[in-house]
Amino acid sequence: MDVILPNLGFLLSGLATTAVLALISIVAGTVLGIVLGTLRYTSVPVLGQAAAIYIEFTRGIPLLVFLFLFYFALPALGGYKVSAYVAAAQGFSFFIGAYLAEDFRSGLRSVRPQLKQAARASGLTETQVFRHIVLPIALRRIIPTLFNQYVRLFKFTSVASVIGVSELTGRAMLVNAREFAPIAIIVTLALTYLVCCLALSSIGRALSHRFTVRT
Amino acid sequence: MNYSFDWSVIWEYRELITRGFINTVLLSLLGLIFAALLGILMGTLASVSSRRLRWIATIYVETARNIPLLIHMYFWYIALAYLRLPAFACAVLGLSIYSGAYVTEVVRSGIAAVPRGQYAAALATGLPPFAAMRHVVYPQALKIVTPSLAGLASQLIKDSSLASVIAVAELTYEAGAIEGLTFRTFEAYIFVSLLYLALVTIVSQVLMLLTRSRKSETISVSEG
Repeated sequence: MDVILPNLGFLLSGLATTAVLALISIVAGTVLGIVLGTLRYTSVPVLGQAAAIYIEFTRGIPLLVFLFLFYFALPALGGYKVSAYVAAAQGFSFFIGAYLAEDFRSGLRSVRPQLKQAARASGLTETQVFRHIVLPIALRRIIPTLFNQYVRLFKFTSVASVIGVSELTGRAMLVNAREFAPIAIIVTLALTYLVCCLALSSIGRALSHRFTVRT
Repeated sequence: MNYSFDWSVIWEYRELITRGFINTVLLSLLGLIFAALLGILMGTLASVSSRRLRWIATIYVETARNIPLLIHMYFWYIALAYLRLPAFACAVLGLSIYSGAYVTEVVRSGIAAVPRGQYAAALATGLPPFAAMRHVVYPQALKIVTPSLAGLASQLIKDSSLASVIAVAELTYEAGAIEGLTFRTFEAYIFVSLLYLALVTIVSQVLMLLTRSRKSETISVSEG
């Protein structure tokens, strides 16, 4: 505790960076997941296949390598500079988006065809059926899976410290370099992640309990 | 975009890449074995009737999987530095304990999917509890959960890249080394990405093939 308390402010602002990074990536990743998942579901020509290739590629490589692509490889290729924070946010969003796309697609596919036929028969257009019937049901159904991915993403943010983002893990390592109390610092770090992840899962459980639809 | 590609560096540093690839395979293999053992043990504990034993499994699962893998590795490598474990061993420990939590959940759900009557019937034929699990419950549970286990295996291979952070000379680490030596950033990381993609695809396809042959085998047994 004697090492944690004097550095509490420093560590808490790291936690804030972690939370913001996670939140940005969750929002952007979810939007990307919905778009890619819908492209896959409706099997739009060309774009559908492109989405499939992107998803397969991303799901087949490690997160760390994916971050390196966004921080080192793509800027080298395109001749631009990017800050570690922006590269991490891009990497996490594109990474989790590929996983969420598959979850969305299976959610969309779980909506029974009779329901769509009924909606069509009531006079809605294809787009309206998708927008007002299929999508909301699919979204509600995959809340538990979504939150599993969000928890995964929250844990992933620790990897951003490797490319030099000063988030919770990065800051804890700095404190350790100064104070050298590795056990206290790493155990505190682990417990902080534990509490945050458990909180995030319980939000997911509460939401899925509230919004579950049975059709 | 005026980046001039130079893929020859990959061939030039093939020894580094081969060494990294072998270490990634070794790391994943050891991680898989220990995660499977831990998962079977804890998954079985999670399925027994004693509430206290089930608690042990629950506490393990919730702590191990809600802490980032990187922190697991730091724990063994930095927090317990006085043990002087080699980085490779720290990576294996971190990977196995982290992934073991996911395997535990899969094993638990597999055991739960086997009808309780199977275990009761096995006991009734005179098998001791351990033999009943070993010969009756586990084989059926394994058949049910193999797709999930294949998913976890490919996840573990990808997760093993984090070992590079604690200086294990595996594939990602070597990509960084090649980048540092040659500044061929794009080539190094794209090539390594494709190697991971190939490894993960092959492993999950092979595991799925194994399931298929295993399935037909068990069906023929139950028909016979």
